[in-house]
Amino acid sequence: MKNDRVMRLAPALVMLAVATAVAAMRADPPQRPTPQMSAVTDTRPPGGTGSVTFLVLGDTGTGDRAQFEVAAQAWKSRQVFPYEFAIMLGDNLYGSERPQDYANKFERPFQPLLDAGVQFHASLGNHDDPNQRYYKPFGMGGQRYYTFKKQDVRFFALDSNYMDRDQQAWLERVLRESNDKWKVAYFHHPLYSSGGRHGSEVDLRETIEPLFIKYGMNVVFAGHEHFYERLKPQKGIHYFTAGGSAKLRSGDIRIGPLTAKGYDSEQSYMVVEIDGDVMRFQALSRRGKVVDSGEITRQAKPAGSS
Amino acid sequence: MRNLKSAAFVLSCAVLVGGCEREEPAGAAVAGAPGGQPSVNAHGAATLEFQNRIKAYLEIHHQAEGQVPNLKRTDDPQEISDREALLAKAIQTLRAGATIGEVFAPEYQPYFIKIVQDDFAARPAADRKAIINELPKNMEVDVNTVYPTTIALATFPAGLLRKLPNLPPELEYRLVGRSLILRDVKANLIVDILRDVVPTIPS
Repeated sequence: MKNDRVMRLAPALVMLAVATAVAAMRADPPQRPTPQMSAVTDTRPPGGTGSVTFLVLGDTGTGDRAQFEVAAQAWKSRQVFPYEFAIMLGDNLYGSERPQDYANKFERPFQPLLDAGVQFHASLGNHDDPNQRYYKPFGMGGQRYYTFKKQDVRFFALDSNYMDRDQQAWLERVLRESNDKWKVAYFHHPLYSSGGRHGSEVDLRETIEPLFIKYGMNVVFAGHEHFYERLKPQKGIHYFTAGGSAKLRSGDIRIGPLTAKGYDSEQSYMVVEIDGDVMRFQALSRRGKVVDSGEITRQAKPAGSS
Repeated sequence: MRNLKSAAFVLSCAVLVGGCEREEPAGAAVAGAPGGQPSVNAHGAATLEFQNRIKAYLEIHHQAEGQVPNLKRTDDPQEISDREALLAKAIQTLRAGATIGEVFAPEYQPYFIKIVQDDFAARPAADRKAIINELPKNMEVDVNTVYPTTIALATFPAGLLRKLPNLPPELEYRLVGRSLILRDVKANLIVDILRDVVPTIPS
């Protein structure tokens, strides 16, 4: 009896199943498969408790497999190193910037981080429409350049594409007003770089480095160059380039007097902790291997600078 | 806030016009003293004319902004692109028939050319080459058209920016190929073009 009823209902059930499947396919366009995370990560946990912890990503906005894999590794790192927020060094969206590009080049790759409440704070690269500043998940507060504070660390997100007088005046004002223990700047174009393709942005350096020195900037992160580089401290400031979080310019580093450590054979990202007077950093590859790590002790800055 | 920034812009124009002394570029209009008229500073007059044209453009921009929804911070990128497109469309309509040189006043063009060319000439060859290599090439630009979002905006050299007249936040300078363009930031529109400003790299 029960079997007869099932048999009579079978065609209807099959049709219902097919219709549901077709509707689901129409509602959800094909998505990239979630990449499998590497089984390992060399990420080490933070050294302190209650310290400021963050993720550093640069030149991410490709929407390609490499971006997804770096994002997956960054998520894996977070299980060991629970960073609170992420800073983005520009080129957040390459190519077109249609609504689906925001999804494909940001939301989907970083969905686990977004779901976990990791806040992003982006800066603008040369491939970015400045109207990205209105996109809430980029955490820019509607501004091309802005500042925010985490405990005793002040972050300065700059728009290095267009360093006009207004931005310079703003930067000088907020630096002067900051009495924070740490000052960390990030933006797209590196003031110092050993890259063969781009190299140091001398013009920009002449404009903003005097302010960094005058007001005691401690650390600077930049992208644009599609590799990882830690530079030897320049005039007391520590510089990192981390623009290889999706695009890679393999073999582009010209090891020279500026380079403390370079890595250009695979995509990379960083996790950073600021704990009292110490900043600890780890640079990790797309496959989760530590390619550089170390710690920086905050130096006393000139009187009036902090 | 917008009014405050506009007021600051007008003030900076006045300072710029009153305070600038520059070497006269070759071919610049010279305002002499024909018929016993008091002589005027040619550069100051040209700057004033440029700033007047900027102000006239801003009136159009603000009128267009009044016709479209305000852009606020949003989780929905569709709102951002829709608003950008609506604002661009409104400005295009208000400026229908706009032609090259409407904002880059002819009186001021020689000064722009001189500022850009002097800046490039003063740079080391490698620096000059790096900047020129980064500029978008073979890109058709026209007044009152949308800047293609698929083409990267070349970084504007910070040192050169310091030498050019200041602009209100609604506008920015950009280099495209050999042209200097004025771009409306919120509408992503090309407002005006000054061609053949950027020098070529000697082969």
